[in-house]
Amino acid sequence: MLSLGPIIFGFIIGFVVGLALNKDSTKNKTRFTKSSFAVILIVAVLVAWQLGPFPYYDDLPIATGFLSGAMGMIVGKVIVNTVN
Amino acid sequence: MSTILKIFVFPAAFIIICLGILTILGGHITPGGGFQGGAMIAGGIILCVITYGVEKSPIQLSHDFISTVESVGALGYIFLGLVGLFTTGFFLYNTGTDFYHLIASSIVNIFHYPDVTNAGIVPYLNILVGLKVFVGLSAIVIAFSQFRRIEDSD
Repeated sequence: MLSLGPIIFGFIIGFVVGLALNKDSTKNKTRFTKSSFAVILIVAVLVAWQLGPFPYYDDLPIATGFLSGAMGMIVGKVIVNTVN
Repeated sequence: MSTILKIFVFPAAFIIICLGILTILGGHITPGGGFQGGAMIAGGIILCVITYGVEKSPIQLSHDFISTVESVGALGYIFLGLVGLFTTGFFLYNTGTDFYHLIASSIVNIFHYPDVTNAGIVPYLNILVGLKVFVGLSAIVIAFSQFRRIEDSD
């Protein structure tokens, strides 16, 4: 059975943190562009797969809370960028 | 800070924050919980503040953001406690599980955490504590990082 709890609430917590991601990080010499976030997301998928699921969560072979948190952060940043 | 650190720290902080979220969400079945996960999220934010500085940090917490999230965490915790108090007479009664069969099943279904462990409101408490701790610890470090500036201006 798919455990929706970590997926939903991981996304919500990630979204809240993602709202704090600053749009104007271009003041730095190092810029984090869309491709940077694509690489970070790929790394997050690999880390989630290496971590594996919680005990009793035998629905998927990855850490769903970790991955949904990463997606929530990126969605939060995209929304902040769109609004500002 | 050096350019190598500036390239490395934000992706590392991103992964650390995701690990903090995972720690919060696993608090009812694995070691960890709201405080530990919130401290890990704050650790990622603090890492960015130390490396990039407060003004240039890619993760910036405004005063409104900090006060809102902190209030949601504290008031949500109180709210869950009061639900138990008003429905059963016991503050923080686990209304999502109802081990003693004191409340209606419709209320249990509302507060039941959707996973296989039948944990009730415990994950919700972890999440609310995690939100409160991550903004609280981050705010402390951001305030400490600004003290020198206040002294200089005096």
